[in-house]
Amino acid sequence: MNFLIRLLAVVGSLTGLLISSSSLLAEDFIDFDDLIDFDEMVDNDSGAPEAEIADPFEGINRVIFSFNDGAYKKVIQPFTRQYVRIVPIEGRKGIANFFDNLGYPVRLAGSVLQLKLGRATQETGKFLVNTTAGMAGFMDAAQDFDGLNPEQEDIGQALGSWGLKHGFYIVLPLAGPSSLRDFVGRIGEGAVDPISEPWSQVDDSQARVALQAVDTVNDLPEIIDIYSSITNSAIDPYIAVRDGYAQLRAVQVSK
Amino acid sequence: MNCFLLRSLLPLLTFSIAWATSAQANELDAPKEALETTIHELLEVLHADENKLPYSAKRNEIIEILNRQFSFDVIIQRALGRNWSKLNEAQKKQVFNLVTDLVLQAYTNELQDGPKPTLSFSNPEVLSKSKIEIDSVVLLNGTKINLSYRLANIKDRGWQVYDVLVEGVSMVSNYRKQFDEHFQRKSAADLIELLKNKLKEA
Repeated sequence: MNFLIRLLAVVGSLTGLLISSSSLLAEDFIDFDDLIDFDEMVDNDSGAPEAEIADPFEGINRVIFSFNDGAYKKVIQPFTRQYVRIVPIEGRKGIANFFDNLGYPVRLAGSVLQLKLGRATQETGKFLVNTTAGMAGFMDAAQDFDGLNPEQEDIGQALGSWGLKHGFYIVLPLAGPSSLRDFVGRIGEGAVDPISEPWSQVDDSQARVALQAVDTVNDLPEIIDIYSSITNSAIDPYIAVRDGYAQLRAVQVSK
Repeated sequence: MNCFLLRSLLPLLTFSIAWATSAQANELDAPKEALETTIHELLEVLHADENKLPYSAKRNEIIEILNRQFSFDVIIQRALGRNWSKLNEAQKKQVFNLVTDLVLQAYTNELQDGPKPTLSFSNPEVLSKSKIEIDSVVLLNGTKINLSYRLANIKDRGWQVYDVLVEGVSMVSNYRKQFDEHFQRKSAADLIELLKNKLKEA
């Protein structure tokens, strides 16, 4: 009988403990003043650690940024509006899928360089499915398979995962934000990318330029719209884009 | 006998554990459902008319919906960080209204110009005892955008959004960098002037 009482007590207290721990969230309020405490927010806000980037060439970068901004809003955005009218959404999606599929060697290199072999295998599976069942990549047939949608890797991320810092921030004419590390990564990607030089799989230079142009133009409508929302609502668009880039890359490297 | 007792109490114990765990899950369902409702209602307002009324015509309605689950006072004070104390009371009110309008106007224009996006929300992830994160995927024009909402269980208010992350980029942190840069060289009065001009341009 004693044993029974002891057992009931154990079950009872265990249940009580579980119930009280389950309602922790309901009772654990945070005070308004604690939520606007500076140290608390700095420790907890950023999407990823070390989202900082040095900017010793801010003067030159700002000049190129303002040139790019003018080009995006006055030339490229009006052009993309026409493009969206002419090419229906399904067509744009197909073109995006096609070029995304061709980006496989770059993502594979990014995964392998980080020794993420599971991700490299997923990328290979996705490439094979999309190239065959997805009609040369125009359809993303792999999107319905959970195991075939890995996080995207690139060489800049691989360099970051090796502990290499950004170096410094660079604004490239028209191409936009980058850093010394990510720019070096891009040069490396040029070597494995099937379209771009130096080891292109497309022999005819005009065809190569045309293919790259289609890829770039097709991606522009979405990028440009997001870019204008960010800059239109910014206090300082240059800083907004620089910090956005630093945070985004830090998140990608940490994954 | 003892063994029999143990066997008969085991289901009770299992039930208690299962019940306690599901209680926690249900508790976090409420802020998730509330957030989903808020965002869906917001999209309804943005896409309600074909004439695409300007932000000014929808401002009050948009703010009323968002106020239910977005603590703009927390969001803006966190974005200004230490610079908040550099403003006098009148400037605080002005900056609060101008920043709210600047951000809401830009995203209202962006969202109502395009087709209605489709949304899917994930289950909340516990960040700390009083903070959770709800991830969502927005499908807009065939492009997937990862949008995460950070909510705090604020005393007397309940679960409220205090930051939004776009592809992992914290908007509050992003604005804080911009305000820090501004206040290194310029004043609160300059900020108000800048915000007014930006609103006129948009």
